[in-house]
Amino acid sequence: MTRVALALTLVLASTAFAAGGEVPVVRQVLSNGMTVIVREDPGVGVVAVSLQARAGSKFETEATAGITNFVQRLLLRGTQKRTALALADAADEIGGTLDASGEVESAEVRGAAIARQWEPLLALIAEVVLEPTFPAQEVERERSLLLGQLQTRSDLPLSRAIDTALRDVYGPHPYAWPALGRRESVERLTREALAAHYRTMYRADRMTLAISGNVPRTRVIAAAERLFRRVPVVAEAGRASDVVPAPRGERRVVERDVNQAQIVVGFLAPPLADDDYAAARVLGAVLGGGMSSRMFAELRDRRGLAYSVGVLPTAPRTGPALFAAYLGTAPSNADAALTAMLAEVARMRAEPIEARELERAKAYLLGTLAMDRRTSARLAWYLAFYDLIGGGWDWPERFTRAVQAVTAADVTRVAARYLVQPTIVVVRPSAGTVR
Amino acid sequence: MGRMAGCVLAVLVLCGAGGCSATRATAKAAAPAASPTRYVLPNGIPVIVQEHRGSELAALQLWVRAGARDESATELGLAHYLEHMLFRGTTSRPTGFVEREVEGVGGAMNAGTSWDFTYYYVTLPPSRVSQGLELLADIATNAALDAEVLDKEKAVVLEEMRQGQDSPRRLVTRTIYSQLFEGHAYGREILGTPDIIRGLTRDTLLSFYRHRYVPEAFSVVVVGPVDAETVVSTARATFGRLPRTGTGRLPLAAPAQFRPRRTELVRQGAHAYLGMAWPAPRLDHADTPALDLLVSILGGRRSSRLVQALREERGTVVAIDAGLSTLGAAGAVLVSAQMDPVNIHAAEEQIVAEIRRVRDRGVTPAELRRAVITAEAAHEFQTETAHGRALALGRAETIWTIEDELAYVRRIRSVSAEQVQAVARRYLDPEQYIFLALVPPRNG
Repeated sequence: MTRVALALTLVLASTAFAAGGEVPVVRQVLSNGMTVIVREDPGVGVVAVSLQARAGSKFETEATAGITNFVQRLLLRGTQKRTALALADAADEIGGTLDASGEVESAEVRGAAIARQWEPLLALIAEVVLEPTFPAQEVERERSLLLGQLQTRSDLPLSRAIDTALRDVYGPHPYAWPALGRRESVERLTREALAAHYRTMYRADRMTLAISGNVPRTRVIAAAERLFRRVPVVAEAGRASDVVPAPRGERRVVERDVNQAQIVVGFLAPPLADDDYAAARVLGAVLGGGMSSRMFAELRDRRGLAYSVGVLPTAPRTGPALFAAYLGTAPSNADAALTAMLAEVARMRAEPIEARELERAKAYLLGTLAMDRRTSARLAWYLAFYDLIGGGWDWPERFTRAVQAVTAADVTRVAARYLVQPTIVVVRPSAGTVR
Repeated sequence: MGRMAGCVLAVLVLCGAGGCSATRATAKAAAPAASPTRYVLPNGIPVIVQEHRGSELAALQLWVRAGARDESATELGLAHYLEHMLFRGTTSRPTGFVEREVEGVGGAMNAGTSWDFTYYYVTLPPSRVSQGLELLADIATNAALDAEVLDKEKAVVLEEMRQGQDSPRRLVTRTIYSQLFEGHAYGREILGTPDIIRGLTRDTLLSFYRHRYVPEAFSVVVVGPVDAETVVSTARATFGRLPRTGTGRLPLAAPAQFRPRRTELVRQGAHAYLGMAWPAPRLDHADTPALDLLVSILGGRRSSRLVQALREERGTVVAIDAGLSTLGAAGAVLVSAQMDPVNIHAAEEQIVAEIRRVRDRGVTPAELRRAVITAEAAHEFQTETAHGRALALGRAETIWTIEDELAYVRRIRSVSAEQVQAVARRYLDPEQYIFLALVPPRNG
């Protein structure tokens, strides 16, 4: 055997190796009540920051749908010190990225950079969060981009099917619209309404700042104290809707000129804090998680009905979450595919699952969680998100234990309880144009 | 294309030299990962190992120098079809092995097919690395290619084609490539055509497998919290036992002179989609780093010229992007945008105006500096995970060299503003290009 060592110009740090799970995490509450979490990881050359506020479409109404995301996008469009272009250039100068968006349960400003630039990155994030100016011209620019993104969503057949299912499952509840909002509301939101909404979003006791990367944690916390002490302690906080979603099990066909029909079958699943949450996630993995799930084996490998098929990863929700099975197939196979999907759902409810299937599903679920937590950016997101919504920054570890405790009987019980009244959406060409 | 939905094709097709290549680290970075080491097994198969202790999972990849470019014109889609079939069982592993051996221990497995290569990847807990290597060696040479399973998989591949037809961006990219590289292997559909796939036989597939999946075509990459000696001894006991066949692969000629052309396709939707493309040099060409920076200055970031001019200042488009794609024997610069259909010609004019401007007046030192820093950081981000590092190393070993890969950031840093302007003049002709528009029907 030949061995060719490559000549490399590398400087190896003397720091001890740290596997992902063993990196120390420090959580501290600043003097104004804002939470800071630092994960000091000498194993990487980068730093990632996630600043999240307890806001999002959960706290919106039909008339304000999309306002959180709109505000977040505007944070990047001008501060007291810099224009939109100057902000983009500032991020480039430190080899970084800077982005912001409103999600369903939170509003996030995120950034990443080469590790040595952690301090300018943190300062840039503080600047956009604390000193936005909402220039009128930029509001209109962003509005037209957001309306364009809404159109893009409706042009993509699977997004169209999922958005339609969300509306039918949630009705008047704010989980019914994507974080982008709705055309009707985004068209009408005024600059004043956006600026006023901004003031309700950022208050210290409803914000978590997480930093993961090759950074000195003590200095990071001191810098956070200095940069964020101006965040107000008290402001009027957003209020969550008290509407309870009550899906009626509708079945809807959306006619589009598509080559492949998209089918979504949706149910309401338990919220994050519910005792059934882990079992419902295992249920999703048995039914449609990965290449060895029931849906993949039956609908793709055995019957060749689809290329893409499965259960969408259930998004973390503090309220009732969407459990959605999906499949794309030739329009002429749509009816057979839907019948087969519903048969798999019925089988989940009626028949017990085997021990081997249970273990496979758990391993798959925890494996995908590990794979989603491989980059500093994702690790920062996990720390900030779960701390903010009350799950605790160490949620992945607790979720892991909860999954390990799920039994086969739990899965069948949860299937029987939640997989009822399917909401069905089929996006397909009109009957006369089936190819 | 992989077993799971995703944009593997788009990634494979669109990655530029900057996009896909990666070096381990810059001299200033403190990431405590060992350097990659390249071993060569007695039968010539390279095994590249990099210990990466920061990762909890190990990435194992098999790269095969067999892709769509190795097919004959009547057998399009073979390389991709074979990739699907390798997941459907070997002589000792029945269908469903992915369940037991990979997903059953919390791992994942998938694959991708390009014109130049096919690669298979497994992500596993480090304690399973030896079994993972055995699995890859098994599918590499012992696939069952069961005739009945082969017939069933046809329906799946036809669905994969249908899905691609419904994605406007993928449709733009695929159509542009077929025009830019017309008459050349890179102009072919990786998935093949529905008729060819329907008529595919086991004999054809088996013959491709026997001739192309040989030690001369393989490279193995392992990155993660692993012990290099153990990896190499397992590789020697598995891949190392395969007999050499003496077959090689002929180099692929460069594409002929391209023919500029304009195409408009009608497609239902609210937006129009625009693609404009120019031929670019192959990956190992001396101009690649400068062209990579030029494309970054033009598009791809919020501060880039096309984004600022067309999206921010004029509001002509809702999204615009520029990318450099570098393959083994050719490359492409692709500008793609999405807009209100009435703006399509304004968008084209404005893109051309930006190209003229950079040809005539070059780029500023600040633009160049930011593009270099961004490229450096992008490499750090791409190689943060074991999987990302393995991808960069495997691709380099397959169509480039590991040394070039590791030196790439250094080469990027040495590019001058004059060189960026020179490549703009050399490659971006403001009059000769491929133009493709997807527009909604006029009555709706």
